[in-house]
Amino acid sequence: MAFAENHINTDVPEKDVFALHFLQTLSNLSTQNPFSSPDKKSDRVKKIKKAAYVSMARAAGCTDRLWSRALLQRAAKRNNKIVRFPRRRKRVTWLRRRSNRRDPVEEAAAERLRNLVPGGGEMKTSKLMEETAHYIKCLSMQVKVMQCLVDGLSPK
Amino acid sequence: MDLTGGFGARYDGGQEATGLESLHLGDELRQLPPDGFTALLELPPTQALKLLHFTDSPSSSPQAAPIAPPSFASNLALMERPARFSTEHQQNGTNLSGETTTSSSVKTEPAETNSSSQAVNNRSGKRKDSDNKPKSSTKKKNKSSEEKEKLPYVHVRARRGQATDSHSLAERARREKINARMKLLQELVPGCDKVCLSDTKIQGTALVLDEIINHVQSLQRQVEMLSMRLASVNPRIDFNLDTILASENGSLMDGSFNCTAMQVSWPHQVIETEQPYHQHRQLQQPQQWPFDVLNQRAWGREEDQDHGNDHNSLMVGSANLHPNQVKMEL
Repeated sequence: MAFAENHINTDVPEKDVFALHFLQTLSNLSTQNPFSSPDKKSDRVKKIKKAAYVSMARAAGCTDRLWSRALLQRAAKRNNKIVRFPRRRKRVTWLRRRSNRRDPVEEAAAERLRNLVPGGGEMKTSKLMEETAHYIKCLSMQVKVMQCLVDGLSPK
Repeated sequence: MDLTGGFGARYDGGQEATGLESLHLGDELRQLPPDGFTALLELPPTQALKLLHFTDSPSSSPQAAPIAPPSFASNLALMERPARFSTEHQQNGTNLSGETTTSSSVKTEPAETNSSSQAVNNRSGKRKDSDNKPKSSTKKKNKSSEEKEKLPYVHVRARRGQATDSHSLAERARREKINARMKLLQELVPGCDKVCLSDTKIQGTALVLDEIINHVQSLQRQVEMLSMRLASVNPRIDFNLDTILASENGSLMDGSFNCTAMQVSWPHQVIETEQPYHQHRQLQQPQQWPFDVLNQRAWGREEDQDHGNDHNSLMVGSANLHPNQVKMEL
């Protein structure tokens, strides 16, 4: 359906944008805690993982997407930083839920998708799909960037 | 009805007659008032009457019109008919060509702001060539179709024998929207094409959704694995650029990194500007130099402008790095 894709915009930036954001975030990570050097690997892993997601959200367009906004807010909350976005919150009440989401089979899967995609709890199903498409694209781009990085850094 | 109401009003009222006449729809159409949407349908009057019964929303054409593109008549079934007229329309002059352009531009707008089923409306398809007919219209092509309007923007043609109350039609429009996005997702997710694309079965969509969910989960797991590997590769967490590049210098074979420009510029970037770089913690400052650079991929030149460093020596130095092999696939 060519017409349908015309108004669903799921472009993601180029790979180098993601790479850049990732490396910047990693550098910022190091400068955030200059005095504490966590020797435990799990902490490092968590920090790197979080840096990856945050940088991905930033690279993909900070406020353009619901999932990126939700992700950044979640990350900022953990850092106890106050982050303000011009957010359109959509309180989907239970009643509206019933009228919005009717197909039980599809909705069960959509529910799982909501749990996976950040910020998915409040979207309508059609919006969720759009966000998922963009999210998948950004995730794959981020994976490629990280793969390149790892390949480059790993000792031969 | 809003169909022709919108249609007529889109012509700013004054040119309704010409617009309709140009359609060559037949005599009965001229008899009908400009806001008789059935005129467009080209159906015999009996069927038109039958259709009229099912339309319960009053013709609110004048109000619908100023909302311009969204309210434009966009009946799914009209795709076929007006597709033929599209050539005529394009011949007919500025007004119609204006229609075409606006509708095509409207087509590219994100339609999410309006009602949900608008996306399905193929509004833009009304003026496009016949080869752009959306699939749904061909799917639903049938003679005795009923027509229903939910909002001023939505025109959905019901299938034969199906209920035409607002709820089911709204739901159907919504489902079509969801299906459109599902198809989009299917193309993204590898291995999803094996699942049957048609939405006739519930199992089809469920499988596709499962596949999508699996894909998202696998991507997230990959991110986690890679972050673990990164953490193990670098003993320290401080991913300074110089650390990365220093380690890269030692292990740069085999064409894993394809960022020649990056390699060139970053060493001296780091050396020269590491102090200011870390002083300015915010993302804004560092973004200045990379993004200019990124856009042009001439990092060396940008460096000169920004920092006045002569990178020639670095170019020479980087030559030792085998820039051909120092390639990160970007």
